[in-house]
Formats: sequence, C-alpha cells, structure tokens
Amino acid sequence: MTAIIRPTSALRIYIGNKDEAVVEAGRTVRETLISLNIKPELIALVVIDGENKSKDYIIQDGDIVKVLAVIGGG
Amino acid sequence: MNGYGGSIVRINLTTGNISRKPTPVELARDFIGGRGFGAYYLIKEIPRGADPLGPENKLIISSGPISGLMIPGAGKCDFTTKSPLTGGYASASMGGHFTAEMKYAGVDSIILDGISPKPVYILIDNEKIELRDAAEYWGKGTIAVEKEIKEKFGEEFQVALIGPGGENLVHYACINHDFGRQAGRGGVGTVMGAKKVKAIVIHGTRSIPVADVKAFQAAGKALYKACKEASFLREWTRYGTTVVTSWCDEVGALPTRNFSAGSFEDGKDLYGPVMREKIVITDKGCFGCPSPCGKYSRSKKYGSYVEGPEYETIGLMGSNLGISDIEAVAHANLLADDLGIDSISTGNAIGWAMECYEKGILRKSDTDGLDLKFGNVDATFELIGKIARKEGLGALLAEGVKKASKKIGKGSEKFAIHVKGMEQSAYATHNATAMLLAYMTCDVGAHHNRSWAITYDLQVGRDLIVPEKVARVIWLQNFRPMFDVLGGCRLQWVELGIDRELYIPALDAITGIHRTWEDLEKVGERIWNLTRLFWMRENPGFDRNWDLPAPRFYEDAPSSGATKGQITKFEDVNTLLDMYYEQRGWDENGLPGPEKLKLLGLAEFLV
Amino acid sequence: MRLYVDSAKCSGCNACRVACSINLFGENNPKKSAIVIQPHFPSPGVYDVKVCTQCGDCAAVCPEDAIKKNNKGAWYVDYSQCSLCEACVPVCPENVMFVRTELANTAWKCDLCGDCVEVCGTSALWIAEKESVGV
Repeated sequence: MTAIIRPTSALRIYIGNKDEAVVEAGRTVRETLISLNIKPELIALVVIDGENKSKDYIIQDGDIVKVLAVIGGG
Repeated sequence: MNGYGGSIVRINLTTGNISRKPTPVELARDFIGGRGFGAYYLIKEIPRGADPLGPENKLIISSGPISGLMIPGAGKCDFTTKSPLTGGYASASMGGHFTAEMKYAGVDSIILDGISPKPVYILIDNEKIELRDAAEYWGKGTIAVEKEIKEKFGEEFQVALIGPGGENLVHYACINHDFGRQAGRGGVGTVMGAKKVKAIVIHGTRSIPVADVKAFQAAGKALYKACKEASFLREWTRYGTTVVTSWCDEVGALPTRNFSAGSFEDGKDLYGPVMREKIVITDKGCFGCPSPCGKYSRSKKYGSYVEGPEYETIGLMGSNLGISDIEAVAHANLLADDLGIDSISTGNAIGWAMECYEKGILRKSDTDGLDLKFGNVDATFELIGKIARKEGLGALLAEGVKKASKKIGKGSEKFAIHVKGMEQSAYATHNATAMLLAYMTCDVGAHHNRSWAITYDLQVGRDLIVPEKVARVIWLQNFRPMFDVLGGCRLQWVELGIDRELYIPALDAITGIHRTWEDLEKVGERIWNLTRLFWMRENPGFDRNWDLPAPRFYEDAPSSGATKGQITKFEDVNTLLDMYYEQRGWDENGLPGPEKLKLLGLAEFLV
Repeated sequence: MRLYVDSAKCSGCNACRVACSINLFGENNPKKSAIVIQPHFPSPGVYDVKVCTQCGDCAAVCPEDAIKKNNKGAWYVDYSQCSLCEACVPVCPENVMFVRTELANTAWKCDLCGDCVEVCGTSALWIAEKESVGV
C-alpha cells in the first residue's frame, strides 16, 4: 500500500531532487515527513485531493500528498 | 528609454509650480527605478534635518521598469519619504494598478515638495498635470472618495489617496488605492496629508516602449507559465497570505497579546480556511498578477466590505489584541483602511495600550472610559477611530509606541514592540534569531518585507548563532527589495517559488540592458548602504542601539504556546549584530565607512 | 471556436488585456485590448468581464468588408481596410468592438489568439467550441 508525496520545490532536496517520492501508506503525514528527514514543523499546509489535512492524517493507499513549506514567507 | 515612462514630474505645492523633465539615463542605469529612484532622491534632495511634516520633506512616488508590463506582479508603486514616525527612511510599496497607469502617462517618478495652502488633489492625464481643489473630499474616508473620483473621471483613472488619518497627521497614516491596497508603513500618508494633498489621480493612454517586443512576449509568457505550473498556485490563490496563519500559530510566530506569546489559544478561529468560508467573496489581484493574494471579503455581522484581512492584520488586529472573531478583524481592517491608518502599526499600538491598561499603567480615566482589556472588540473599533481623529488616548497612540511609551513611562517602554520607532509587524520573535535580526536591521524599522527567515530558523536551529544565518539575512535584504526597485511584486518568487532566472530575459527584452541577479543585488547593496547613510545623517548619534530589538524578545519568555519558556539571550543579540556589521563591511556601530561607500559608487554621498 | 470567461474567477489583474494588446498591436497597452473588465467595488466586490463571442454581427454591418475570418475561423479586423465608420461598435452585443482614435487609426476586436488564456492565472478564460455551454 503506497502513496505519493509531492513537496514544494524548495523541499525537493529531501527526496533526491525529484518532484515526488513514493511513500508507505498507513502512517501519519507527520511520521512520513520524519522518515524523510523533513521536520514536520517546516510544513505549513498539507493538501490531499484538493482538501486541507492535518499532519495527523493517516495516509491512504493511492493518496497524492502535497506538502507546502513557507520558504520565502511574506 | 525602453521600459520606462520617460519623465520625472515635480510639483511644488507651496508655489503650485509643476515641471516635467526626461528621466535621467544615469539614474535608470544606477538605480533602476521604483524604490531605487526613491532612495536616490531621498538623500540627494531632502535637506539634512528637514521636518518630516514640513515643506522641505519630499514624497517621492515611483514606478519601475516592469510596472504595467506583461510580467507577473507588475503592479507595485514605491512611496519614499523621511518618516514622521521614525525620523529616518520610509519606503512603502503599494500594489494595485496605480503604478501601471503612471507608466501609461509617461511618468517614472512624481516628486512632491512644499505644502499646499489649501487641500488639493493632483490630476495627471497624459500631458495634463493640474492641481485641483479638494475641499469636497477633505475629511472623508478613502472608500467613498475613491468611488466618487472614479465616477467623476472614469474607471480608467487610478487613484491614490489619504483618509482622515493622513489629514490629521497620525504618524503612521497610509495611502490607499483600488479599494484595498495601501502604501502602509512609516507615515507616507502622513507626509501626503502634511502637504495637504488628498489624492493623486492618474490616467494615460501611451504604450510602454520595450527594446524587443517578440523576446519580451516570449519571456513574459514563460514567467506566467512558471506561475501557473507552481505546485501550490491554487492554495496561494485561495488563501493569500492567510496560508501562514495556522503555521505561525503552530511555530510560535503568531503575535499574541502584545507579542507576549507566539501562539493564541483561540487562533484556530482566525485560520485561512475558516476565513475563506466565512467572509471571502473574490480573489482580488494587482496588475498582472496570476496569484491574486487579495481576499475581498464581506462581513455579514458588521456589513463591511473590505480587501482583507491579510495575515499581518489578522496577527496585529486579531491575536495580538486577543481577538478571535475573524469578522471583527475584517471590520477593524475596514475601519483602518477607510480612515487611512496603517493596520500593522495601529494593531501594534492598540496591543501596547491594552497591556498598559491590564497592568494598571493606563486607567479608565486615561482611556476615555474604554475598558481596554485584551479581547474587547468594541473598544478596539472605538480606539481605531480615536487614533485617526487624534482624540484622547488616540492622540497619544497616533505618535507610535516609541514616543507614546516614552511619554507614559512606568516601564511601558519595555513592552513597546518596535525597532527604530516602527512598530513590529506580525511575527513574534522570542526564539527565531534570523527573523529577529531581520527586524533589527530592516532599513525602515521593524518590518518583515526585506528579509523573511522563519522557516530558515526552523531548518537550521532557532537559537543558532552562526555567520551563515547572518549571511542569509543579508542576501535576502539585497535581493528581495529589488522587486520594489523593478516596480513589481516579490510574492511570485516568495510564495510560488518560481525560478528567479526567468525574470532576466524579460528585463533584457524590456530595457535592452542585460543585467544578471548578481548585478541587481549589487544595486540592492548600493541602495541598502545609501538608506543607512540617510539614517546616520538625520539622526546625530545614530549607532548600534538603534538596531536593538524590543526588550521583550530578550527578557520576556512566553508563558504559553509553542515558544513557551524560550527567549533569545541579549549577548546573542549583540553577537548577531557584530556578525551582521562585519559581513556588511560596516564598523562596530553599524556605519559604512568611506572605503565601503567608494566601492559602492556612493562617494558623493559621504557625510 | 470562441473565447469564454467565468467572471467569478477574475481577479482584475489585466494580464489578459496586456497580452491582447501585444498580440493585436505589438504594444504593451491594455487600453488597446479587446477584453473589457468592469470592476464593481466597494460592493458587491466582483469583476464583470466581457469577451467576444464570435457572433459575427460586426462583420455583417461592416461596409468595407474589413471584418474577416482568420485561419482559426475567428472574426478579426483587417486594419488596412477599416474606414473608421464605427458601424460595428453599437451592434456588438457584448460591447467588445473598439474604436478609439486617440489610440489607433482602426477598429479592433478579438482575433482568438489565445494569449489571454495563456496568461490568466485563475483560469477564468478558456477557448472552446461555440456550441459549448459557457458559464
């Protein structure tokens, strides 16, 4: 059971400079980020299928998980 | 000149004299436009020691070479002056459509000096430049007056105007435009009010010349393509800057109760998705922008229409005042906009006053009977009006928290949250040292526009004090304000994360002059040192103490929220400053020396 | 084929109008474009956008036959044939037929180049078959 994570461009260094990475389903977004060495507190927004989710959302099979870090700010 | 309006308009409001001369080629070469032109005219033409509210101060209004062109975010206008709030450099960037219209009227900068004997508005329509009687508009709010002027002259005419706040010389009065955009900070509206100029109305029908139309068209389209393909375009458009509200709350950056903490227990009622659902009608954008950050909203509860609130106003007029009702924040935003006072400084000043009240430093006899506790929405609304009219407590707050706390004393200076006299904007910096340094060293006072580094702090370590952190702040300060120099918006790079190299072929094709980002950042560094010189010149005894942050951030750890118990050590504040001065090539008081100035081509400005 | 617009998605940015003027005249001047954006502020706080529906009413009345079909099947103005008689302007049901002699010595209209669609960040504009149901 897998899903895909698509981080903002500035975070792609954490997934080998690719646009997306395959991740295990069944874990929370938070746990998945930690497994990729991305500090969860960097992430401002989690969007799955056009809907905002919290970092405690459990990733389902086939989800495409977009995560936004506010690198540039305001 | 390709990419430019072509002329500098000067208006002496005392004599009524108006002139229009070609924009100097060397000025465009060395200072490019926008904020660059503002900085140059600021130091060159405003006499040392000029009273910010007097006839010798100038208000310099400038578009830039990308303004009004087919470039994402080509809608920013710079307003530069000597600040009545800080006594130093003020530069505020106003979005919307005004800057584009300046270019169509053939204008790069408008320089106002003197003081008009009676209220006027300035009308520029292609070749025509006139001063007209503003008696019928003086005293009125910005929303109604902009509407009246547009109905009188036509929808194509763009209007920049002040409200009663500017007329009454509130020290942080702003300039309004397009029913929701402002040149907000530092009192640029105050100077316009001191000169008795109610509005500038502009219209032009010219095409903007570019060096190579085909190449420009291709480069512009490539920029739009990059924006439209940005992975979070939809979310940035949906929420605008309110994308960060929830995150700031989580990481302890959301100013709460006069910056006493960085998280708000009722913060979730202010978050972006909640706001969108409750009040947002239209995603409203500036000229040329593919990612409209404006959230035009309607509060049913208060019957107000307002562009906003955006993150800053949510921070300073919401959580910072202990207010969790997003509709109340929207209404407070409208009051500030209509009256023409900076919502950031206003929210910050009210937060200071609330803390004074809760500590018994201000009593009901001082607050004209207002029960100025944190969370009191009605008191907030009333106080906004009092500030704009300089009534009672409002007169004190209208001077800004630095002067107000000095007058009141009783320890209130300790929690006046400002740098150099400018109220800090909406990021609490109890333990975020890059962002703290950004606020300390920002060239207009405590504003976040130059350098925003909170995520960077989280990535490398909040309290880590290393040269790399300082280098990052400096790079951002040399780079980000270049968008203000170009007459455009930084948010396509900042928020959508598009590749900034895409701007280079566009600039080439527009101006016919090839510049790399390295070249642009050199201009950025030049301007940075020039405005530092201005602070030095206008404030005898200007030294490193001016760069210190509000004591709260090294003395007063939050007792709740994400940064509970965390605070920056004062010795680290000094270390940061020492590293910053060293990397900037300044002395231990933060002053650029003659050698540095010569290197930057600023020898003529040696003080 | 014709251009469609969903005004509810319009942000008032005018990128479409600048792109249009570059296509029609090779100039950066949104006043020389073939799209109308009418703002309604402060209330109700929305933009109302008018685009050419390729109805052909303008071509039908042009005494010079200056309004022709291009290779996209869209009506456009042949500038060299326009006599500025302005017969086309009042018959346009969307008010997107333009004559402004201070700007150009010809009438102008949308030629369905599609550049506006390319630069619209909110996807408020799109091109589709005339038979489709527009919003």
